[in-house]
Amino acid sequence: MKNQNELYKKVCKYLGCDLDSTPCKQIQEYLKVCRNCKVYVDKIKKTVNIYKVADSCDQLPDDVCKKLFMTLDLNDSDHLEEFSEKD
Amino acid sequence: MHQETELVSKAQNGDRQALSRLVIEYRNRIYHLGLRLTSSEQDAEDILQETFLIMIRKIHQFQGKSSFYTWLYRIAMNIGLRKLKSKPHKYQHVSIDDPDIEKISSIAASEWPTFDYGQISEKRFRKKLDELVEKLPGIYRTVFILRDLHELSTEDTSKILQITPSNTKIRLMRARNFLKEQLEGLVAEEGLI
Repeated sequence: MKNQNELYKKVCKYLGCDLDSTPCKQIQEYLKVCRNCKVYVDKIKKTVNIYKVADSCDQLPDDVCKKLFMTLDLNDSDHLEEFSEKD
Repeated sequence: MHQETELVSKAQNGDRQALSRLVIEYRNRIYHLGLRLTSSEQDAEDILQETFLIMIRKIHQFQGKSSFYTWLYRIAMNIGLRKLKSKPHKYQHVSIDDPDIEKISSIAASEWPTFDYGQISEKRFRKKLDELVEKLPGIYRTVFILRDLHELSTEDTSKILQITPSNTKIRLMRARNFLKEQLEGLVAEEGLI
């Protein structure tokens, strides 16, 4: 790669991709020697992870769920739930 | 996926059980989408109901050109964005920039210590996280929610938001960077991490 700033730009572009993907091996290699880049990427990963964990803490309240099925005039039986609930 | 196609087809023919199963399949995700988008339980409930009411009313129009969830997410997202627009902004619009390359490269960065994920279950902490997301303008918030929280692909996110994949990537990079910066503040302020 041509110069350091160009590399940093590519690191940032990389951060708009899947964090665990390998869109650019050269950048991955560079992260091993660029401590600041590594810290930066780690912080971004932690940030995303914190939000993911926080998001999983919120459950759909039972009463909201019941109200939903009443509004839709649909059946929310346990049998149906067993059938298709993936989460 | 094949099973879902069959389910959608049955639902299009008025099968109530198939409709129920589609609602069961997606209710949690749509509720979470609404909750993160609006930071309001009431709004999330409204989005949930409206989304599925529209799904039932319009499922016959679904032609299978995109995946079913892309179609459903687009409905939910449109309702959510309309809600956001109709409310006064809690926070002033912040300027969302690209990461400061000079800063990243010149200042010796300090690492975050190992994070205690148990803290996240505390409502007070989650409220603070929500407040940070609320500062993100809608165009960035939506991308962050779809890509990082709902783990949709760049392609699907672009289809739902009707923007180009490049735009999705740029918005995601800026949103992530903004939230990281904001979390740095929270760390310094409360020693939470």
